Order: sequence, then structure tokens, then C-alpha cells
Amino acid sequence: MSTFTIARIDLKRLAVRPFAWTLAGIVLAMMAWQFLLGVSAFMHAQPTVPGPASGPGFTDAVVAPYLLNYIQLCLMIAPLVTMQALAGDRSAQRLALLSASGASGAHIVFGKFIARLAFLWLLLVVVATVPLVLGGATHPDWGQFGAALIATALCVAALTAIGIACSAFTPEPALAATAALLIGEALSLIDAGLRITGGEGGWLGYLALHTHLAPAMRGLVRSEDIVYFLLIVALALALAIHRAAAERERG
Amino acid sequence: MAKPPALLQLDHVSRRLSGREVLRDVSFSLQREDVLGLLGVNGAGKSTTLAIVAGVLQPDAGTVRIDDRVSNEGLCTIRARIGWVPESVPLWPELTVSESLDACGRLRGLSKPLRRMACERELARLELQAVAHRLCGQLSLGQKRRVGLAQALLHEPDLLVLDEPGNGLDPVQTAQLRELIGKLSPRRGIILSSHELAEVEAMCNRVVILHEGRVRHDAKLDGEHGKLDAQFRAIAAQPASAAA
Repeated sequence: MSTFTIARIDLKRLAVRPFAWTLAGIVLAMMAWQFLLGVSAFMHAQPTVPGPASGPGFTDAVVAPYLLNYIQLCLMIAPLVTMQALAGDRSAQRLALLSASGASGAHIVFGKFIARLAFLWLLLVVVATVPLVLGGATHPDWGQFGAALIATALCVAALTAIGIACSAFTPEPALAATAALLIGEALSLIDAGLRITGGEGGWLGYLALHTHLAPAMRGLVRSEDIVYFLLIVALALALAIHRAAAERERG
Repeated sequence: MAKPPALLQLDHVSRRLSGREVLRDVSFSLQREDVLGLLGVNGAGKSTTLAIVAGVLQPDAGTVRIDDRVSNEGLCTIRARIGWVPESVPLWPELTVSESLDACGRLRGLSKPLRRMACERELARLELQAVAHRLCGQLSLGQKRRVGLAQALLHEPDLLVLDEPGNGLDPVQTAQLRELIGKLSPRRGIILSSHELAEVEAMCNRVVILHEGRVRHDAKLDGEHGKLDAQFRAIAAQPASAAA
């Protein structure tokens, strides 16, 4: 009950803040621009003489890169959306108010996670609606589209959880955002060198976001990829809960 | 006949914060219908004591008992009996006063009809009806304090914990606060902190003077202003080494 009450309070606060609307507006404008560029490039790549279809289809050429672009944006906006979650509430004594009202560390962390994830997933729904507008004309591969969407949603959940954990461990919201951004970028770029040289990934490759996004963007939902994202969410939230529960001891 | 257990009992409570010993061996008790004033200069350990009583800070040593029950055991049940207003009132600036009270009622697990009733009761009791639909972030300091008090009273707690309730209030608001505490005290215990002797004398029937994290004086107020004033001044003037 407390979890949903806290999520409800935070969603309400997000909904009345100009910050969230400005962020949503900027993200949607950037995504619309990316989509138009993708469609334009796809149109130019089409053969002018009618014949059998060859090369990447609409989903490969437009939708998958478009959703990857949303993930790239989320690397930056997830830290901004989550930075105030616990760090801001702690400095304003609101964390103590929640605690004094009977909410446990787990209730607080889950509530704040659910609110921010709902906001970013809502943006994802709007972002994902854009390719659907052309669905009738382009005949997208719905299986591949679904797989890419699932991977994007899970990746956004992982980035949100990392942001919440950073917010739990840092006293200042700006510090939390910086830490979350660095961790997100590190996960995104950790195997960049290996990708360029084409070397074996090993555990470094396993840690990289790209390793687990690439198969889904090709339409392949692998359980190991789902487990990877869920592990990040579970680990980050467990750390945040541990830190929030220790507030009474630390002061 | 056996004496009923104290509503609040602190036994040998100690607490360190950032490596500094903020509270040392603090013990005192509070009976129902008592209004206890925690008096001390800035940094004496008043806010830490109240945060420990409210259950938002854990003591390093010692116990806090509410009705003879150790507060760490069944923390949720204990918290349900306490209403806490810290020095800087925690509010959600983006929510209206009504929404804020409703959210607190939800957090306290009150059902919808009970919540509505409690919100209306507290809005009326604290004269907040006129600002019920104003955003908390737009309220004056006095109004914020009243909203904080309404949040703390929603679930009709047995013990009310107020940290520096008179801070930043104008004389009219201070008089209203005194009147309100007078109305609230017959059914519950109230513990409040202040660094102003006059405020404590006007609102409380008992006083505990804290200095350098230690209880230096614990007595009923007998109306002898000059005696307590002299005592407080003498304690406050003591250097840290003397207090230890």
C-alpha cells in the first residue's frame, strides 16, 4: 500500500513540474526528428525500379535504430528523472517523513522506482507509437518490433534502477545524476574497443548493454538478455533499499 | 495501586553523528497529558533526541519505550502512535494542502472515509480551510508549520513530537500555537524542543534541559521563572568539558 502511495505522490509531483514536461517535450521532438531522418534515409535507399525486395526492411533500417536512439537518450534523461528521488527528498526531510509515517526502505525505493519508470515507459509508449503510424504502409515485422520494444523497456528499467541507487547513495541530486550517467555510459561503452577490433567479448562483453540489445533489435528475445536486465534492476534496487533502510542508523 | 507505565521512557540513550557524540546517556520519561519542553542551546542534542523518539533515528545505545514497549520492536506499530513535526517541515511543494494531507493519511493506512474525515477535522482544527487548495510550496512559514502539524495529527497519535514549533512564527501565530497545544494536551503526551525559555514556560508543565548531549535538569515547572532562568543560564554557560 505504501509503495503505491509513494509512487502516486511522486507521479503527481512529476506531472505538475515544468521540468518533466520540458524533458518530455525535448525527448519527443528529438525522437520525431530522428524518425524523420530514418524514414528519409530508408526512402532514398529504396530501388526506383520495381523488383523483389532486398536489403534491410523498415523495421531493421528505421525502427530498431530509432528505439536504440531512445535508449541513448535515456542514458541522459534517466539520471535527470531519478536524481531527486531519494537525494532530494532526504535533504528536504521528506524521506524522514515517509519513514516516520511507517514506510519501510523497500516501500520508499519501490515507490520511487515505479513512479519514474512509469514516466519513462509512458514516453516509450509515445515514442513507439510513431513507427506504428506508418505500420499500414510499411508492413513492419511485428515480432522484431515487439522484441526490440521489450529490450528497450527492460533497458530503461535498468537505467532507472541505477539512477535510484545513485540517488540513494549520494547526498546531492547533481552528484546522483553524474554517478548514474557515468555508470550508464560505462555499461554502454565498456566493450566499444572490442566491438571495433572484433575481438571476443568475454565478461566485459557480457556486462555491455549492446551485447544484450543487439539480438533483440534483430528480433531475438533471449532469456540471458532478460536475466541481465533484471539482474541490474534487482542489484540496483537491493543496494538502494539497503541504503534507505540504513538511514535510521546513519542519521 | 501500581503506577501506569510512562507513555514515553528514554533509558541511557546515546548517539553519535558524524563521529561526534551528540547524545550521552540521556534518560527521562513522559506521562500522558504531560507537555514536556526540551530546552537547550543550539547543538545541545534536542533535534537528535526528538528524531530518536519519532523513530527516524536509531540510538547507538539505550532504549526508547512507548507504553513500556521498546520502540525498535514492532517499529511500525510504535510509529502509528507518534506524530512528528521536524524543525523544517517536510512538505511536497507540488501538492495542495488537501492532497498532502490525503497522501499522509494513505501512508498511515487510513481508509478512504476515515481519511476524508481526518483531513476535514485537521483542516478545521488548524484553520487551514482557506488554503486547502493552495500548493504547499506557496504557503507562508506559519501556514507550513500548521500543515506539518495537521499531517502529524491525522492519525490521532498518543505522542506528539514537535521540534522547535515556534521557530519563525509571528507573535499572533505563537499565541495560536500555545492555545492549540493547550487543546491537544489533555488526550496525549507532547514533547517539544525549544531554545527559548519563555516558550517552554508558556506551553509546558515539565522541562528537561539538555546541554552538550546530556540531561542537566529534569523537573516540573513550578512557575518560578527567575529560578529556572538562572538555572538555564548557568547550564548554558558551562563549557563542553564541564558538561562532560
